[in-house]
Amino acid sequence: MNCYMNTIPIIIDDKKLEVDPGKTILEVCRENEIEILTMCHLKGVLDIGACRLCLVEIEGVNKLLSACTTKVAANMIIRTNTDRIKKYQRITTELFFAERNHVCAVCVANGKCELQDLGYKVGLDHIRYPHLFPQCEVDTSHPWYVMDHNRCIMCTRCVRVCNEVEGAHNWDVMNRGHQVRVISDFNSPWGESVTCTSCGKCLHACPTGAIWPKAIVQGQLQKNPGMINELVEKRKMKL
Amino acid sequence: MDFELPLFLFNKNAGEFYMKSDTAVPVKDMPKTDPRMKLIAAKLKKESFKPDALIEILHTAQNAYGYLPKEVLSYITKALHLPPSRVYSTVTFYHFFSLKSKGEHTCLVCTGTACYVKGAQAILNEIERGLGLKAGQVTADNKLGVQVARCIGACGLAPAVVLDDEVQAKVAPEEIVQKINAKIGTL
Amino acid sequence: MNRQDLKTIIYAEKKKEETNKYKHKICVCCGAGCISSGSEEVMKKLQEEIKTRGLENEVEVIPTGCMGPCNQGPLMKFLPEYNIYQKVDCSNIAAIVQSQLIEKKPIEDLLLFADSREKPFIDARDDPYFKKQLKIALKNCGHINPERIEDYLVHNGYLALDKVLFEMSPEEVIAEVKQSRIRGRGGAGYPAGLKWETVYKYVNDQKYVICNGDEGDPGAFMDRSVLEGNPHRVLEGMAIAGYAIGANKGYAYIRGEYPLAIKRFELAIKQAKKLGLLGNNILGTTFSFDVEVRIGAGAFVCGEETALIASIEGKRGTPRPRPPFPAESGLWGKPTLINNVETFAAISPIINNGGEWYSEIGTPKSAGTKVFALAGKINYAGLIEVPMGTTLREIVFDIGGGIQNGEEFKAAQTGGPSGGCIPAEHLDVKMDYESLVSLGSIMGSGGLIIMDKSSDMVDVARFFMEFCMDESCGKCVPCRVGTRMMHDLLQKICDNKATQIDLDRLEELAVYVKETSLCGLGGSAPNPLLSTLRHFRKEYESRIVQHD
Repeated sequence: MNCYMNTIPIIIDDKKLEVDPGKTILEVCRENEIEILTMCHLKGVLDIGACRLCLVEIEGVNKLLSACTTKVAANMIIRTNTDRIKKYQRITTELFFAERNHVCAVCVANGKCELQDLGYKVGLDHIRYPHLFPQCEVDTSHPWYVMDHNRCIMCTRCVRVCNEVEGAHNWDVMNRGHQVRVISDFNSPWGESVTCTSCGKCLHACPTGAIWPKAIVQGQLQKNPGMINELVEKRKMKL
Repeated sequence: MDFELPLFLFNKNAGEFYMKSDTAVPVKDMPKTDPRMKLIAAKLKKESFKPDALIEILHTAQNAYGYLPKEVLSYITKALHLPPSRVYSTVTFYHFFSLKSKGEHTCLVCTGTACYVKGAQAILNEIERGLGLKAGQVTADNKLGVQVARCIGACGLAPAVVLDDEVQAKVAPEEIVQKINAKIGTL
Repeated sequence: MNRQDLKTIIYAEKKKEETNKYKHKICVCCGAGCISSGSEEVMKKLQEEIKTRGLENEVEVIPTGCMGPCNQGPLMKFLPEYNIYQKVDCSNIAAIVQSQLIEKKPIEDLLLFADSREKPFIDARDDPYFKKQLKIALKNCGHINPERIEDYLVHNGYLALDKVLFEMSPEEVIAEVKQSRIRGRGGAGYPAGLKWETVYKYVNDQKYVICNGDEGDPGAFMDRSVLEGNPHRVLEGMAIAGYAIGANKGYAYIRGEYPLAIKRFELAIKQAKKLGLLGNNILGTTFSFDVEVRIGAGAFVCGEETALIASIEGKRGTPRPRPPFPAESGLWGKPTLINNVETFAAISPIINNGGEWYSEIGTPKSAGTKVFALAGKINYAGLIEVPMGTTLREIVFDIGGGIQNGEEFKAAQTGGPSGGCIPAEHLDVKMDYESLVSLGSIMGSGGLIIMDKSSDMVDVARFFMEFCMDESCGKCVPCRVGTRMMHDLLQKICDNKATQIDLDRLEELAVYVKETSLCGLGGSAPNPLLSTLRHFRKEYESRIVQHD
């Protein structure tokens, strides 16, 4: 029996759930331990639906919708694990790896990388598409941190954290299409930035080894993406 | 042993570091007497310094200078109180804005579908053969720049080439170099 | 100005037209196409010629918008005889004036289509090129001077706005638009009436109307011609929409590539404001509506509504996931109505003649007329407007005059880089939303590129993929990386280096990008590829390298 008047019934993967309206499908799934793969989602900053990993099928909707940006509605029937979705998740992962120069063996984030975890989860054994091998820079001009564009997957988590949480807006995205790059100020070296506060939040937000602190070696990297949401909550409370 | 991140440390050299950055973006060097700058200033005033008018103001600047010099960009950035990266990301997103000078004279080859079907590639090949310029390149003396456009909407006149601001209709590949030379010679 | 003043102006202008002191009217096409062919010099020379002959009290020369057959330009039309001269240049003006105005007979050799038809039609209205067309959105293009509001007022301009303000409630306006069954002309074909109703229902003190004039499809120039030929019509449509949904502010987003359209539209706004047809308290009522022009900066993706909104807000034109739709949360988070230029251009005739009249034109599911931009290997390239449901064969052969040099028709590309191709065996397809979708293409904004046998379909697919790759905003993975991968694979096929495995991967990627992309650009980017694969698979297979 529905004991809360303000909840709505939905079905996810044949599981009947009563959920609060106003939540996104992703939030509901995370609360109910239904696995949804994500890359650009970071709790605490706005969702943009860019990585397309969290796509779900909704009965009666002929398009696949991203779970992170779609709100639940009453009597929604959602599927998160059909063959089609699994196939597309695999292709997306392959494209992530083929886009830039990801070499786990020499990466500082080896073992602590969300992209690497994603590869394991979708069962990636090889990449069927040709690697694009773009020419990417490694920006070491900042006194403490390094930005390695080779390992960037353009999730723009750093951009959103810097803008929404820190409020500095040091990062943004330049160009378009496959030539997009994360930039600091006028595409100048990070170390010369006039807006960066060196707070290091982008480092914690980054899911891969694209932003990392200097003076550490493989295995020493500690990233804490959860701290972003904690910060947001604390700032709301104004303790 | 895990490495603790030096997150909230205050860097003693930070002050010095920021001063260095200010010279990297030289706002004070702006020639305020330049009539083109006055044009931009007037536009900024007209749009009452609203950040959402960024693209309109960039249009004005692009038209005045032919490209967007860094000094002008930082002037606009300061005037609108926008983060520099936000301005730069907008500038690089749109085809219209250019960060480099496009040359005194421009030769714009339309590569829209209609022009492509009718041989825009042959024109580009001919320009490369005759003048040694590929699309997007500028001659060493900055006299002529060759660009391509995704449809200028003159499909009835395909293949079309725009020399400076004049549309040349139904251009035959063999006459393009001659037309360009005539243009540069006379001006 | 109040309602009575408008009526007085229209009456006075009509009177002037009726008691016209001029015996002849010469329209010189000053659309962008004809201007590039030199119509401005022609006009200057014509005025001089008329002055030297002392005819300036008998003949009126006016610049007009696009007349249609752009590749025959510059065009010159003599009224009331309806003789159209093509490819006029300064050297033969004297002869034309002499023959037409003094000797009262046209020079047949110089008339429209004289070089391609056995015998040209003296009265151009008899020519099948015009006879098969039905002009609603383009009705006054080519007849009136787009830079004079009085010319538009004489042709019942702003009467529809007058009617809705004084005789109709917003609900009635929406009902009328719904009854007309007009569908959005921007490409997707969403019923305009439903969209208006949705925005109307959201309660908010601030709503916006946006006119989407970011016509980015290569090979399409319908919006350009409407904006250049009759900007007031679009303005009137926007004001009516504003009244219907309860908005007081409109934005017209026009491509930066169309300087003439921007100039004329801005002029139209100025003129309408001066007469009180725009601005505060229109015609003395409580309704206020203001329009501002925003100039596009060259990004195809800005045709997508959420990207367009971002661009008007002065940001990168990247789309965002929908829902929420702009009708709920659009420009600055307010309910926003976005329609195409052509849709707005059709509103005032719908109000004047009733929705029922409009709904009877065309096919049951796709009502009204559609403007197409004919281009490619066709004899009479230019702008046409036909009722929905006209067959492709009629468009290509009866109106377009067939393929250049008598070659064989191979395919027609509709909808630009988001559409698909229609092969020769489907020449009799009816041009409406459903029929085109069933062939794997889309109506799109109305670009129609005709190809003959010299066109290589794999290369065409590669060309469109290159376009989408360049125009992808780079936000979502399938579009950013997927279009690049597909382009590389297509290039490989074009270079005769690909294997069957590559082709299979290409097909898999195409479906993947189509289904997973964030916005319409990525979602339709594989369409040209999938449609050429469907109709011309042999051309792909013949280039595959066979491994043993």
